[in-house]
Amino acid sequence: MRNTDSRKYVIALIFAIIPLIFIVRLFYMQVVDDQWKERAATISENKILTYPARGIVYDRNGEKIISNEVYYDIHIIPRQAKNTDSVALVELLGITMENYSAKMAKAIDYSSKKPSEIVRQIPPNEFAQIAPELYKYPGFFEVARTLRVYPKKIAAHVLGYMNEASPADIEKDPYYKPGDYIGRTGIERMYEEQLRGQRGVKYYLQDAIGMQTGEYENGDYDTTARQGKNITLSIDWELQEYGEKLMQNKLGSIVAIEPSTGEILAMVSAPTYDPNLLVGRHLGVNYGCLQEDTLLPLQNRSINSAYMPGSIFKTVMALIGMQEGVITENSSFPCNKSLLGCHNHPTAQGVSDGVKMSCNPYFVQLARRIIQQGKDPSVFKDAAIGLDIWAEYVRSFGIGVDLKTDFPTNVHGNVPDTDYYNERLNFRWAFSTIQSIAIGQGEVLITPMEMANLAAIISNRGHYYYPHFIKDIEGSEVPEMYLTPNYTMVDSQYFEPVVDGMSRVVNESGGTARRARIDSIAVCGKTGTVENFKKINGKVYQLTDHSNFMAFAPRENPQIAISVFIENTGFGGTWSAPVAALMIEKYINRTIADTAKENRIFNANLIPDIDDIIRK
Amino acid sequence: MRTQENKIFKNIDWALFGVYLVLVLLGISNIYSSVYDPDKPNLFDLDTEQGKQIMWLGVALFLGLIVFFLESNFIRKYAYWFYGFTVLLLVGVLFMAPINGARSWFGFGGISIQPSEFAKIGVALALARFIDQNSSSKERKKLGKNSGISGLWGIVPFIAKNKSTALILAIPSALVLLQPDAGTFIIFTSFLLVLYREGYAGNILLFLVISVIIAVLTLLVADSNFMLPFTKMQLSGKTGIIIALVLITGVFAFVIKSFVMKRNRKSLYRSVFGSFIVAVLFVNFVEIGYTNILQSHQKERIDLLLGKIDDPDGKGYNINRAKAAIGSGGFIGKGYQSATLANASQRHVPMQSTDFIFCTWSEERGFLGSLFLIGLYTFLLFKMVVIAERQRSVFTRVYAYCVASIFFYHFMINVGMAIGLAPVIGIPLPFFSYGGSSMMSFSVLIFILLKLDSERKIVLQ
Repeated sequence: MRNTDSRKYVIALIFAIIPLIFIVRLFYMQVVDDQWKERAATISENKILTYPARGIVYDRNGEKIISNEVYYDIHIIPRQAKNTDSVALVELLGITMENYSAKMAKAIDYSSKKPSEIVRQIPPNEFAQIAPELYKYPGFFEVARTLRVYPKKIAAHVLGYMNEASPADIEKDPYYKPGDYIGRTGIERMYEEQLRGQRGVKYYLQDAIGMQTGEYENGDYDTTARQGKNITLSIDWELQEYGEKLMQNKLGSIVAIEPSTGEILAMVSAPTYDPNLLVGRHLGVNYGCLQEDTLLPLQNRSINSAYMPGSIFKTVMALIGMQEGVITENSSFPCNKSLLGCHNHPTAQGVSDGVKMSCNPYFVQLARRIIQQGKDPSVFKDAAIGLDIWAEYVRSFGIGVDLKTDFPTNVHGNVPDTDYYNERLNFRWAFSTIQSIAIGQGEVLITPMEMANLAAIISNRGHYYYPHFIKDIEGSEVPEMYLTPNYTMVDSQYFEPVVDGMSRVVNESGGTARRARIDSIAVCGKTGTVENFKKINGKVYQLTDHSNFMAFAPRENPQIAISVFIENTGFGGTWSAPVAALMIEKYINRTIADTAKENRIFNANLIPDIDDIIRK
Repeated sequence: MRTQENKIFKNIDWALFGVYLVLVLLGISNIYSSVYDPDKPNLFDLDTEQGKQIMWLGVALFLGLIVFFLESNFIRKYAYWFYGFTVLLLVGVLFMAPINGARSWFGFGGISIQPSEFAKIGVALALARFIDQNSSSKERKKLGKNSGISGLWGIVPFIAKNKSTALILAIPSALVLLQPDAGTFIIFTSFLLVLYREGYAGNILLFLVISVIIAVLTLLVADSNFMLPFTKMQLSGKTGIIIALVLITGVFAFVIKSFVMKRNRKSLYRSVFGSFIVAVLFVNFVEIGYTNILQSHQKERIDLLLGKIDDPDGKGYNINRAKAAIGSGGFIGKGYQSATLANASQRHVPMQSTDFIFCTWSEERGFLGSLFLIGLYTFLLFKMVVIAERQRSVFTRVYAYCVASIFFYHFMINVGMAIGLAPVIGIPLPFFSYGGSSMMSFSVLIFILLKLDSERKIVLQ
C-alpha cells in the first residue's frame, strides 16, 4: 500500500486555509470597509421629524395677535398597510374614493417605507372622531402640526399669510422639506427664520417592515423641536382694529408711526380680509376669490402703492426753500392765479400762511427759486442743477428711498431728477415744464408709509427713525439701524414755521382741515387732494380726487404721526382729516369724546361705483 | 459501580468535550440574544427558541450518555444497521406532507424531526465500517498506484471500481435530492475528503479545484455572447470555454511531445485527451444544469454570488441584510442583545436564528467575536484531525475524518454564505443554529467520536 500519510497535512492545510480566508474577509467587512455600516444604517434606522410650534406674535401692549392651533395630517407608510378597508377609511377621513386612490398611488410611487400624506389639516374637533378608529388601519397615522390662528380678524396685510414651500424655496434653503409651510408675505415672511423655530429629529430603529422597535443610541442624537421665537410688534392692536373699522367701505390706507422711535403703530389697508381665510385647507380657494376681487383686497395700499402726494408736499418745498436760503420764513408771494389755479384766500404773508392756506401760486414761485437759482446762464442747465439739489433734499426726507422697513416690499415713491426727465422728455426742459412738482402733482410719487414718515419728520423737527414693526424678538436684539436717527438736509430751526402752519391748518378758521381739530390735543396736519385718472374699457376717465391727510400730535413731544389716504373721496379735509383725528384721539386718549364724529365715518360708504363714473 | 463509571469516562478527550460544551453554551446564549422577547425573558421558557434549544441539548446529552454506555465494538458491529435505519427514514420522509416545498420533516405533534441530519451519522458509520473491512483489499492498492496527471483520468473508473463505496454515498444522496434538500446533498460530498485521506483517487482534490474553476467560468459566461477577435463571428460563452480548453490541451500535447520520453507519452496523451473530453462534457453538464435544471431561485443565488446580478432589496435581500448585519458589527461589536439587524424584533435578516445565526453573533460581538468563534471551530477541526490520526483502529480513524469533514462543510458553507463567499444554501452552523435535529445529530456525532476515541488503547485487545 502506498503511503498516503502525508495527506493528513493536505487536509489540515484545507482546514486552516478556509478559516483564514474567512478571517481576512471578516476583517475587511467589519473593520476596513464602511459600506456595510452605512448600509445597515439605512436599513435599520429611520427618523421622524417633530414640528415646532411657530412663534407667537404679540402687539406692543402684550396682546396675542397670532397664535397656533394644532391640526392633524394623516400619513401612510404603504408597506405597513394591511387589509385596508378603503371604503370605511374613506368615509372616516371624509374624502372621496378617487382622491384616496390617487393619494395612495402617489404614496406607493414615492416610497413604500417612507410616510406620505393622505389627508391634510384635519381640525381637532374632526380628528377627535377619527382618532379612536385609526388603529384599525395599520400603516396610517397622524402627524400633528400647528397652523396659525388670528384671534381678531384684522391686520391681514401686515401679518401676511403662509403657504406651502415651493420647489424654489426648498432649493434656496435646504431647511424646508416638501409640505412645509413658509411665511409668504408680511411679518410671517419677514420674520420667518425667527418664527419657524427648529424642527426636532427623533431617530429610531425599525424592523423589516418599518415598524419602530426602539430608540437609536438611547436617543443621544435626537433633538427636540424648538419652538419658534415669540416676537412683539410695535402695532397697537386696539388702534389697528379701530383704524380698520373706520376704513370699512372705503378704499385707502392709514399708517401711524411713533415719531420718537419710528415704530409703526397701525397700518391699515382697505379693503381688507379676514386673515383666517388664508390658513389651512381652504387657502387655495379663498386666495383665488380674493385675487379676483376688483377692489384688490390683497393689495397692501399703505406700503405697496405710490400716489401723488398732493398739497402735503408743500411742507417739504417750504423747508427746502428756507434751508437753501431762497426764502425766509417771512417771504411772501402773491396768489397769482395765472400761474396756477387756487382758491380764494388772503395773500400768504410767510411760510406758515402758505402752508395753512395751501396757496398753489405761492409754492410755484417758491419752487422756481429753488430750481432756477441762476447758477448757470442757461435756463435749462440751471434748472437741471437746481432740480438735482432739490431731489437730494427730497430724498433726505425718506421719499423715494428704501426706508428699511421690516416688511417685504420694493415699492418706493418717486423723486424725479435730471436723469429722470432727460429720459422721459424728448425736448429741452426748464422749471416751467415741471412746475407741478411744486404742489405735489406730476412726477413726484409717495407711498402712504413715506407720507406718515414725513409727518414724523416734521413732528421731530428734522429727523426720523426707519419705520419698523419689530419691538422685541425673544432672545435677540432689535437691529441697531432702527435705533439710530436719520437727519434730513434741513436744519431743525426751519421746521417751526411749517409746524405752525400745520397747526393752523387744523386749529384756525380758514384752515383746510378743521375737521381734524380735537379740543384736548394740539393736532398739526396738512391736507392733500390728488387728481387721478383711470382707464376703464380703454377710455380714460378723470375720477374723483383722492383725499389725503398727514398729521401729528401733540404739537410738542409728538406721540403719533399719521397719514390717511382715501381714494376718490375728494377734498382732503372732508374724509381723511377726520379719520386721522379719530385715530390720534383714540391713540392718545384711548377714547373718543364725540361719538357723532366717528359714526359719520363708520356709516360712510365711499367706494366709487364704476358704473357711476362711466355715466358721468 | 464506581469502577464501572471510571471505566466508562476513562480516557475521554476532555479538550474536545470542552470545546463542544463551550460552543453549545455560546450557541444557546446567542439564540437567546437573537430571539430575545421582553415578554418572555425566561431562559428556559419552552415557548422560546432558546428554551427549546436547551431542551434539545438535554435530549442530546441523554443520547450521549447512552452512547457512552455502549461498547465500541457494538457501534462498529451495528454501523450498517444504523445506516440502514437512517436510509429507511429518508425513504419514509418522502411520503410526508411537504413543508415549504420540501418533504424533509417528520412531524410528531409540534415537534419536527429532520431525518437527513441523522443520515449523516449513518453514512459516517457505514463508510467507516466499509473502509475498515476493506482496508486490505487489492482493489484499493491498485487505485493507490495511480498518480501524477494520469490520476485525473483515474477518476472515471473510480466509481466503477468502488461500486460499494459509491453506493453507500449514492443512496442517501439520491434520497435527499428527492426531498429536495440540496444542502444535505452538498454535505454528503464532504465524504470525498475522507476518501482522499484514505488513499482513494489521489488527485481528487486537484480534480475538484479544476472542476470548480471550470464551473465558475462556465456559469459566468453561460448566457452571454462575445465576438471572436478579428472576425465578425458571434460565439456563445460556452463555445469560448471549449475553444480555451482545446488550446490548453494543445499546449499540453506539445509539452508532452517535446519534453517527455517516448515510452511515457502514450499514457500521458491518453490522460490529456481523456481529461479534455471529460472537461467538455462537464462544461456542457454545468451549462445545461444551470440553464435548464436549476430552479430559478437557485440560479439567482448563483448569479448573486458571482456578481452577475445586484439587487440588494429584491433577489439579494437575504444576503445583503446578512452582510450589512455582519459588517456593521465593527471591531468590537454592538454588544450582547444589541443587534439592530440580526435580531428577532428587527427581523431584517431572514432566518437569523437558523441559517443566518452567524450574523447575530458577528453583529453583536464584532470582528473580535468572529475571530474567536472561527478560532473555536478551527480548533475543533484540528482536534478531530489529531484524534483521527492517533487511532490504531481504521474504523475510528475514518469515522473521525467523517465527523471532521461534516463539521468543516457546515462551517465553511454556513459562514461563507453569511459573508457572501458561498451561495445561499440552507444548512445549519453546528451548535449555533436553532434546531433540534441538528443539535442532536451534531452532538451524537461528537459523542460517538469521544466514545470511540476513549477506547483507542483497547482496540487491539
